[in-house]
Amino acid sequence: MKLLAPIFTPLTRQQWLMLALAGFTLLTPIAAASFGAANISFLDVLHVFINQFNQFFANDDAPTSAAMTERIVMELRLPRILLAFVAGAGLSLAGSVLQTVTRNPLADPYLFGISSGASFGAVVMLTLFTGSGLFGNAGVIANSAMLGGSGLLGGTKILAGLLWFSLPLGAFIGASLSVLIVLALAGLGLKSQVERMLLSGVATSFMFGALTSLLLYFASPQATASVLFWSLGSFAKASWSLLILPSIVVLVSFFIILGWKRQIMALQAGDETAHTLGVNVPKLRLNMLLLCSLITAILVATCGGIGFVGLMIPHTVRLLFPGRQPILLTALVGGLFMVWIDVLARCLLDNQELPVGIITASIGSFFFLLILRRRKVAS
Amino acid sequence: MKPSTSTARSTARSTAVQPSAALPHVALNVSQLSWTIEGKTILSGVNFALQRGEMLGLIGPNGAGKSSLLRCLYRFIRPTQGQISLFSQDISELSPKAFACKVAVVQQDTPHYFDMTTEQLVAMGLTPHKGMFDTNSSGDSEKISKALEKVGLSHKLYQQYERLSGGEKQRALIARAIVQQPQLLILDEPTNHLDVRYQIQILELVRSLGISVIASIHDLNLASALCDSLLLLDNGQVSAMGTPTEVLTEERIAQVFGVCAQVMPHPQHANPLINYFYGYQKSYGHQKSTMDEVVVSHSPDTINGVKTPS
Repeated sequence: MKLLAPIFTPLTRQQWLMLALAGFTLLTPIAAASFGAANISFLDVLHVFINQFNQFFANDDAPTSAAMTERIVMELRLPRILLAFVAGAGLSLAGSVLQTVTRNPLADPYLFGISSGASFGAVVMLTLFTGSGLFGNAGVIANSAMLGGSGLLGGTKILAGLLWFSLPLGAFIGASLSVLIVLALAGLGLKSQVERMLLSGVATSFMFGALTSLLLYFASPQATASVLFWSLGSFAKASWSLLILPSIVVLVSFFIILGWKRQIMALQAGDETAHTLGVNVPKLRLNMLLLCSLITAILVATCGGIGFVGLMIPHTVRLLFPGRQPILLTALVGGLFMVWIDVLARCLLDNQELPVGIITASIGSFFFLLILRRRKVAS
Repeated sequence: MKPSTSTARSTARSTAVQPSAALPHVALNVSQLSWTIEGKTILSGVNFALQRGEMLGLIGPNGAGKSSLLRCLYRFIRPTQGQISLFSQDISELSPKAFACKVAVVQQDTPHYFDMTTEQLVAMGLTPHKGMFDTNSSGDSEKISKALEKVGLSHKLYQQYERLSGGEKQRALIARAIVQQPQLLILDEPTNHLDVRYQIQILELVRSLGISVIASIHDLNLASALCDSLLLLDNGQVSAMGTPTEVLTEERIAQVFGVCAQVMPHPQHANPLINYFYGYQKSYGHQKSTMDEVVVSHSPDTINGVKTPS
């Protein structure tokens, strides 16, 4: 009888929320995949998934009637949904951890100049390979080197391919560079580590911002346009192969964070308290910063700059589920949020996609004002 | 609710759980401890020992180095010189985790916690005892609820820590220290900002735990009443160490704290009871200009016509 008790006792508000969230999680991939340019219904998607499932286990290669639908769902929409989920989960995790270890409720993954560093790297790559602006000469050399042998058309193709590949790479290098600068300035000391980190992050951010503007000023309009579009964030490039690296990084980071959960929690209570609880404070904070930077750099490189998710999801989860250590929940809510933001991005305008970054930033800033208002009322 | 007579203290000690007999008799031994920072000497040549199960009160004026000494003891500060050994083991040899399993600390200023319930705060005491993916067992939750019961906060389990009163916060922090299961408990001014009832309650609670305790205390009467021995720190040096009766003399209080006081045995526990004299400002009511004058005119022998015991 005692065992059955939980089933019969009325659920608390939190349990209802959990249940709703679980159901929502199950429905999201199917529902989200039924939105988009091609007209595919919820049932079609479900059919495709069941088909795939059968094929996987029964090794049944029977041709399906809706081959086109299947391709759209499996090769375009599903990787895109998964990438959005991974990005949202990763950014929320990074934000949540950073807010705790820096004890700054305003911390987010872009706090340490990561996004401006990434933009800078991307712009360098763009201007380098499109042969415009400051790197004009270098670009021409690169062009001619690549063109040698093959025809003009082939060369352009290679160039496009190289750009497609080099932009994320440049972004990653830029992001890592900014983190290294911040770390070098923040140092390992226990005293004022947080303040130094935050201030050097702001300074690094402005420095890279200025450099980016300088490059863009001399760059061609096409390069400027592509940098702008990239920096606003998009999951349009999603594919199964693109999904691998971000998924691995976010998943591994998730388990590392889970493993250090107690120590991270202890840091929330202050450096000295954490120290008395057996936490090596400067080391833990540094490692967590590195981990969050890695997540962010990979995600920025893959999907561009998507702001405010890392800031608002952890706060929302804390408001919805007070008195918990919601690492899993934060990742889940962040992922789901991003999937639906991407659906909005696909469907809001008729013939084109809206950049994800615009939607997250507009919703995010509005949300942020709400939090501030709430805090004011509470205090 | 009034404590009967002098038995109140001894009862607290006798019900205490004694630490395992395998441990050496000296809990903490500090020798030749010095700490200098930016050319300023904060602590110099501090020597003392704390017996197992004893409660040592650290007293001294502001800036005497009490907090610095405690920070050296819990390794937040690395001393320039000297040795600190905990149950005959040099504390610098222990890993952060192993050290936190032996020593718990209740700090002076409770830092700002965002979003944490009392239960979560107390559960933090498990941190050094847990591995990477360990979850809380039923034994752990029992530990937590027992600790909360001990400090009388069982009913505040799910309340936000921030919403607790000053005394409750302090008790919650002590509950966290209990969950940490230390061999030595260090408290940095645990009675700060508390009203007199909580001051007594907190220190008696700490005494009743039966572990070795070192606590810095501002209120000399409180320290006298509730500590087994006292360490008087002045300008980073040990000015006196011993039982409250040995340490708290009129001369020493005048010399170290710069106030004039009358010391007599407390009617309940017979440890020193200190009565202060007032009037150190020229403009202040009593027209006394200097310390010396105060000492002369307020000679303890003549005050209120009561002859004080010497």
